[in-house]
Amino acid sequence: MLLPRFDYQRPRDLSEALGLLAQAGDQARPLAGGTDLLVNLKLGKVTCRLVVDLDGVAELKDVSGPGEAPSLGALLSAAWLAKQAGGLGLMGLAEAGGVLGSPQVRNRATIGGNLCTARPAGDLCTALLALDARVVLAGASGRRELPVEQFITGPGLTAIAPGEILLAARPAPGATAGGSAFEKLGLRRTMEIALVSAAVWVQSEADGRTVKAARVALGAVGPTPLLARAAATALVGRPAGTEAFAAAAQAAAEAARPIDDHRGSAEYRRQMVAVLTRRALERAWSRALEATA
Amino acid sequence: MNKLALTLNVNGQDYDLLCEPSRTLAQALREDLGLTGTKVGCGVGDCGACTVLVDGQTVNSCLVLATQAAGKAIVTIEGLADGPKLHPIQEAFVEHGAIQCGFCSPGMILSAKALLDANPAPSELEIRQGLSGNLCRCTGYQKIVQAVDSAARTLRGERTVG
Amino acid sequence: MAQQFDVIGSRAPRLDGPAKATGQAIFADDLHFPGMLHGAILQSPHPHARVLSVDASAARRLPGVKAVITAAEVGTIKYGVSPARYDETLFATEKVRYVGDEIAAVAAVDLATALEALSLIKVEYDPLPAVFDPLEALAEGAPLIHDEFPGNVCAEVHQEFGDVEAALAKADYVRTDSLKNKRQDGGFIETHCAVAAPDLNGRVTLYSATQVPHYVQRNVAMVLGLDLSKLRVIKPYVGGGFGPKAEATPLDYCSTALALATGKPVKMAYTREQVFLHSRARHQFIHEMTTGVTRDGKLLALKHRAILDGGAYTSFGIATVYYSGSLLGGPYRMANMKYDGLRAFTNKPACGAQRGHGGVIARALFERQLDLIAKELGIDPVRMRLENMMEVGDVTCNDLNMSSLGMRECIEAVRDGSDWGAKKGKLPRGKGIGAACGFFVSGAGYPIYRSETYHSTVTLKVDEDGGGIKVLSASAEIGQGSDTVLGMIAAESLGVPLDLVRVESGSTDFGVDLGAYSSRQTLMSGHACRDAALMAKNRILGSVAAELGVDPADLDFKNGVLISLGPVLDIAPLRTRYRKEHRGWPNLPDGEALSFAEAARMAFLAQGSIVGTGQYKPPQLGGKYKGAAVGTSPAYGCSAQVVEVAVDLDTGQVRVESITDAHDCGRAINRTAVEGQMEGSISMGLGEALFEEVKFDAKGRVVNPSLGEYHIPTIQDMPAMKCIVVESDEPNGPFGAKEVGEGAIMPTIPAILNAVFDATGAVITELPLTPERVLRAIREAQGKE
Ligand SMILES: Cc1cc2nc3c(=O)[nH]c(=O)nc-3n(C[C@H](O)[C@H](O)[C@H](O)COP(=O)(O)OP(=O)(O)OC[C@H]3O[C@@H](n4cnc5c(N)ncnc54)[C@H](O)[C@@H]3O)c2cc1C
Ligand code: FES
Ligand code: FES
Repeated sequence: MLLPRFDYQRPRDLSEALGLLAQAGDQARPLAGGTDLLVNLKLGKVTCRLVVDLDGVAELKDVSGPGEAPSLGALLSAAWLAKQAGGLGLMGLAEAGGVLGSPQVRNRATIGGNLCTARPAGDLCTALLALDARVVLAGASGRRELPVEQFITGPGLTAIAPGEILLAARPAPGATAGGSAFEKLGLRRTMEIALVSAAVWVQSEADGRTVKAARVALGAVGPTPLLARAAATALVGRPAGTEAFAAAAQAAAEAARPIDDHRGSAEYRRQMVAVLTRRALERAWSRALEATA
Repeated sequence: MNKLALTLNVNGQDYDLLCEPSRTLAQALREDLGLTGTKVGCGVGDCGACTVLVDGQTVNSCLVLATQAAGKAIVTIEGLADGPKLHPIQEAFVEHGAIQCGFCSPGMILSAKALLDANPAPSELEIRQGLSGNLCRCTGYQKIVQAVDSAARTLRGERTVG
Repeated sequence: MAQQFDVIGSRAPRLDGPAKATGQAIFADDLHFPGMLHGAILQSPHPHARVLSVDASAARRLPGVKAVITAAEVGTIKYGVSPARYDETLFATEKVRYVGDEIAAVAAVDLATALEALSLIKVEYDPLPAVFDPLEALAEGAPLIHDEFPGNVCAEVHQEFGDVEAALAKADYVRTDSLKNKRQDGGFIETHCAVAAPDLNGRVTLYSATQVPHYVQRNVAMVLGLDLSKLRVIKPYVGGGFGPKAEATPLDYCSTALALATGKPVKMAYTREQVFLHSRARHQFIHEMTTGVTRDGKLLALKHRAILDGGAYTSFGIATVYYSGSLLGGPYRMANMKYDGLRAFTNKPACGAQRGHGGVIARALFERQLDLIAKELGIDPVRMRLENMMEVGDVTCNDLNMSSLGMRECIEAVRDGSDWGAKKGKLPRGKGIGAACGFFVSGAGYPIYRSETYHSTVTLKVDEDGGGIKVLSASAEIGQGSDTVLGMIAAESLGVPLDLVRVESGSTDFGVDLGAYSSRQTLMSGHACRDAALMAKNRILGSVAAELGVDPADLDFKNGVLISLGPVLDIAPLRTRYRKEHRGWPNLPDGEALSFAEAARMAFLAQGSIVGTGQYKPPQLGGKYKGAAVGTSPAYGCSAQVVEVAVDLDTGQVRVESITDAHDCGRAINRTAVEGQMEGSISMGLGEALFEEVKFDAKGRVVNPSLGEYHIPTIQDMPAMKCIVVESDEPNGPFGAKEVGEGAIMPTIPAILNAVFDATGAVITELPLTPERVLRAIREAQGKE
């Protein structure tokens, strides 16, 4: 399968990259790992005249944490997350990175690419949403930050403006004070785009029993990864455990907006939201306790 | 479109080439350098037949531009054997019947190499995870797992091949 | 076994292993010739439409385009698999019948130019109503796909052996069940590819990723009006076939036609999506079965009905619809069997043969039903199978002759190997164990065209210097290991070590071989190879005996040296002669016995080149009824499997945790290769059971034409497998060998279904076992409890 023809530039820093993008307008595409862009170019789903390879922009690989508020450069790969995000106290993101595609894909696929592709099933998008992450964008006119929830606006749609580059994803500063987990359901054990996924984050009160804060994000059951607020409400202030988790799972299922497609029915997806949410909560809670201890 | 002049370091050897920016690493290896050991089974990252190592990491060379690999150390299946002597992983694949049609084998062997370089004593599950991006329709994978396990032992010096 | 072998029965590594492990093995797409052009095919975007006009003038004018061919250039000679049903033309003229039907082809300096040229070809279509569902296609008033086939009936089979109704009336227990599978894809990792290289004498060599060089040669020559002598087909290494590469593809025809039109080599390959559009893979079956048994589980009669979704053309479909009935003749004793099969045309890519041709779903349902019967009667399902099983010498009601049958050994091996007794009925909810058996032909008894042709010929040539042996065969090594098997058979027959043998195969120049399908090559090509080797050996021994003044019957070779079964030999004069010819050479033979090289050299000096030839065609096989040609075989392989599963009761996900498999392959020529076929078959069966389904949208387009969305098992989906090779001595096979390549898939699907039932009580009548389907069935079963 052939790629269409395009020009290629590899800027050495951010300002050069922004300059190139500004010049080419909507004819240009940033290239990160290429696992979406090159596929879509081959399939004719995307066209462009210029590919701007971000690999030379060093600050896109910056990381901060542990100890500080975590910030993850856009070019960090899923493989990197699988290995390192746990050490930053972001196990849910590590789990999402670890089940994205295959080892080869994980070596290339980046946070920025996952966010900008904005697939409803995007594993990193869903995990970041549960961590209340914000994205940092840079454009010709400066920088801005947006919550992931506002950044992703529809299937394949984002709030990124032409010429902007996604610099980093920043989980909420308090994210590491809680525990997170990611659950994904597909047909095969690996190499699957999620049929349904659930990412959760929970924080414990000092008593080690009561849920202090929670976020539940759902993948592949709506036009974008969804935040199930009602599920969080069902948890906060309650003692953690089977009952609260079941209530949250139920609330998550109700919050889901799945559709029927050839991969599964809406009804099944909705049921699975409950199952995955419950399982993720159980794992996340034990991590939350470790974070509290 | 402007062609790019680039240097690919493949199996320790520099190759200069002039190519379209849209040329994938798989194309450059197969068509420009004649290294046809790298196979293409899908072109979109689904099968792993085109797996090569770039700076020690496995990538699907169908989803990497040749120019993205310039200046990096690329290892293809042609770079594993030491002259006429097969690499222990290759040897184990032959010995254990881990090869049938052989179309997945180059990619599979390179994934095994990356795995064993990073983890010299993988468990069966780790072997399966490490090779999970390489599809094989012929073998059912059983003998592949055995071959990787056996190669790991050889590389650790626990047994000698032959 | 009493007989001792030196090469056969070993675990010799495959001959092509090192080449494949190092990337040196050349596959079709690896070929490159100076001046080579690249071709591409224009395919219909409509599932059913009249083709009003094709205008390729703009494409022809595009710089870099060297030739454009349409029906106007190549004509409309009809082809297909079975000559009685030639229903395809290379390019559609009046109608296109599925999304992907071919319209035209282009050769250009590079692929990008060829693809651009395709976009310049203007085709006017008049869309027609289309039909995608086989039942709708058979209903009255459905759009007619082929004028020649009213009612969209491609083929109908009605067979009855014994008196089914009478037997069912006598049965203590009768039950009816059904099973529906989904269209499969071959899922081989190498897509189809063909490279045609013309020479300056009007000849073409076609390098094709095919299982059947012989049929490709015949069909391409016929369709393009070429003299057979002008077309040579060479099969390079092939990246898996499994059936869908068992017929000539449009790439074969087009690349040859374009090479002739341009005088240049032309390469063409399918993209992964085009593999799905070409299809020729496993049909969808809607199968219904009624079986009657006695109170103690003895099988009395089977009545079954299958409807096959054939797609737009016949392809292998006639054989498929017959196999679906005939392969249930074994491996159980059953005197009465009635089968009604119907293959429907639909506006989808044509289905063809795939591993376990025609028999897989019939077998799955039957083995599933046996378990349901056993449960109803309170009999252990393994015991019930043992009690009904046939034995050597039995002949089925449809005239299949069990010349060897290790069925009992297989069942007992998996029963004991899986610890069945300790597990069946004793596992916790969510865990299950299931068993099933399988049965398959070892080579089709007849070629696909009516002919008395030999099915395989082998030429074995001994080096003039005596050092080595070349096996020349037109058989197709596609990964299954046939080259290694032929090499081992040659080495064993000659009494030499395997490393003296080189196998050259896959070229039509080497003779006739019908190719790699119907699990025929070990038995048939193996026969021809053994005979060729024995002829060569006898010629050598004849010369040596004359020189030594002994009776040739007293001589033989073993492990590469001459042995005497009678008098002590004085080999000194022969050795001296050999040594004189090789003055100055290091490493000359100096053992006590005469080496094969010395002996073969003496034979050459006496007779000239030593060549042995062998050929094989099956003996007259049983069955005088219509359709007896499909299912009768010189031998039958059989198998049994026990599968253990864990079902996630919340999600419906099925995880196969272990598989114990036993297969009677006659005598195992190469144990590693036999296990490899068993393991590979299981993975394909597991994929079909759990994941695989080619899906279409309402416009007849494949929804999931990629290996990302069409899910074949990954390494993490496969359990550890325990494969037990059961050997029998098949009188009709070379050294007692028979099939393993396809029969091994048979028990997998039903064993998984039986295990899922054991784990959950869920009765599932539709494949694949997606989590959603399984969960629904679990809930339904709970509702009934
Ligand atoms: C075989 C395969 C399996 C896959 N499996 C999964 C899976 O399981 N789960 C999953 O979520 N995804 C999966 N994907 C999709 C893909 O790998 C991910 O979405 C990945 O994170 C994309 O990252 P990338 O760096 O490769 O993006 P690229 O392809 O480089 O870019 C994607 C898009 O984002 C834009 N972009 C990238 N980075 C930036 C930036 N910093 N600023 C602005 N724009 C940017 C690009 O212009 C492009 O439009 C799979 C893909 C393949 C090929
Ligand atoms: S060819 Fe690159 S992953 Fe399939
Ligand atoms: S050996 Fe054929 S695909 Fe793996």
